[in-house]
Amino acid sequence: MQPATMDPAEEPPSMLWGLDPIFCAFARLYVRDILQMTESIQVPGIYFYNLHPIYKVDVLGTVVYKREREDFFCYGVDDGTGVINCLCWKNDLFKEEADPTKSGGKHSDGARGGFNPVAELALLRQAQQSRCRLEIGELLRVRGPVKTSRQQREIMASTFYKVNDPVMAVQIAWMMEVPQLYRQCYDKPLQLQPNATGDSALSSLSKATNIIKEFLKQKSVTRFRPYDVQDLLQPLISSQPQTASADLEPVAGPSACQQLRQLLKEALQILQDEGIVYCKVKSQDDVYQVTAHDTDLLIAVKDVIREDSQREKYAEKGCHILHILSAVRQRHSLNVSKATLELVLKSLECNSDIVSTSDDHYTAF
Amino acid sequence: MLPAAAVFHFPWEVNSGAVREGESVRVFGRLVCYQPEESRATLSAQHASKEHHVAVHTLFVEPFNPIIGAQYIVLGEIENAEGVGAMVRARVLNCVDGVNVALLQKAINEQRSFFREREHTCDDAQAT
Repeated sequence: MQPATMDPAEEPPSMLWGLDPIFCAFARLYVRDILQMTESIQVPGIYFYNLHPIYKVDVLGTVVYKREREDFFCYGVDDGTGVINCLCWKNDLFKEEADPTKSGGKHSDGARGGFNPVAELALLRQAQQSRCRLEIGELLRVRGPVKTSRQQREIMASTFYKVNDPVMAVQIAWMMEVPQLYRQCYDKPLQLQPNATGDSALSSLSKATNIIKEFLKQKSVTRFRPYDVQDLLQPLISSQPQTASADLEPVAGPSACQQLRQLLKEALQILQDEGIVYCKVKSQDDVYQVTAHDTDLLIAVKDVIREDSQREKYAEKGCHILHILSAVRQRHSLNVSKATLELVLKSLECNSDIVSTSDDHYTAF
Repeated sequence: MLPAAAVFHFPWEVNSGAVREGESVRVFGRLVCYQPEESRATLSAQHASKEHHVAVHTLFVEPFNPIIGAQYIVLGEIENAEGVGAMVRARVLNCVDGVNVALLQKAINEQRSFFREREHTCDDAQAT
């Protein structure tokens, strides 16, 4: 919890910072914590609260110190836990304050009643000024990146404004909310590692399925056996030890073949679940049919729909997908899955061989 | 350059010796009396069926519009004045009449219990 005592070696690698949602948010930290956060050694300007990388914050507090310069205000903001300097730049609208305001006033007198852009601009400027110029004791809301200048933490305001809070409703709401934010986000350690490894395992599987899909499409394969595509996945296995943890490497040698088979099995299972391939006949030595290139299946489905659409029962509404499925299973192969059939129906519909009459009903003319 | 952070305290804590001299505090209370010639105001609050008073030195925040009976919040340093005991030398004195005092107390307690909880877990972490 004490950020000042964090070991520099524990600093999470900068590559993972973006994965922490707090990194992109304006963190509503207590000023005390903003002052105590450790600065990153890798990238100055990034700070760590509880190993969460933070560079911009959101603060609400009472102004207890002010200094005005030509270009900026410097406000000391006290939120009850600490006091921090906030550097608030005056914008251009603010700086042109002297003469235009007076002339704007005259214009509005002249054009009474109508919409006067000059007067409106003057009003806008006045409103802006009243929100930017704060006195000691007033409430200020500041958002912006944290900077360290002359060994002092400060907030470079990207947005700042005076908060009108006559009955402290805003302050009370803030005081109630911030502890909850700490409990739910800032004080919870970020767990990247399990997700990261999960992702890489997932990605090698999705890579494998993509490789097989690409191969089937390019070569217009109609049917294949698992060992026909096994070699395609070889690069994924040999490259894996580099990305996975190093201590797996000695074990990887003998089990590479098993890994390959396992990966292939999983990839084929996914393709099967998606309906892209199916086994026409279940046997020891599986032969996979490629749905997209299986003209026999295409014809079988087309025939079923054309014939059954003639029957009185289906004439009006068309054949339901489950009816087509059972008919195709009888006629073609018991192992045709619904996903496979859906793919076939989609391609038939694209060729205008069949027409869908509702979500699950098809007919042919 | 910057003053110390003014930590929320309840009015009944100011005179109980819980806050030391020189400490920065922020305290709420109802303005019950104001003596401009002495620059002295008194805030009061009810707690546990007792009335607690906080003496405030208002020299730094004058002139201000004193509304007797209204809720105020004061930010300042604790000073020990003779005959009065602990007194807050105000840097900020804001009228916040209409504030939901019960909710404000709850928020202060919420914040305190959060910090207590955090220090506790921190101590545990260091002990192990």
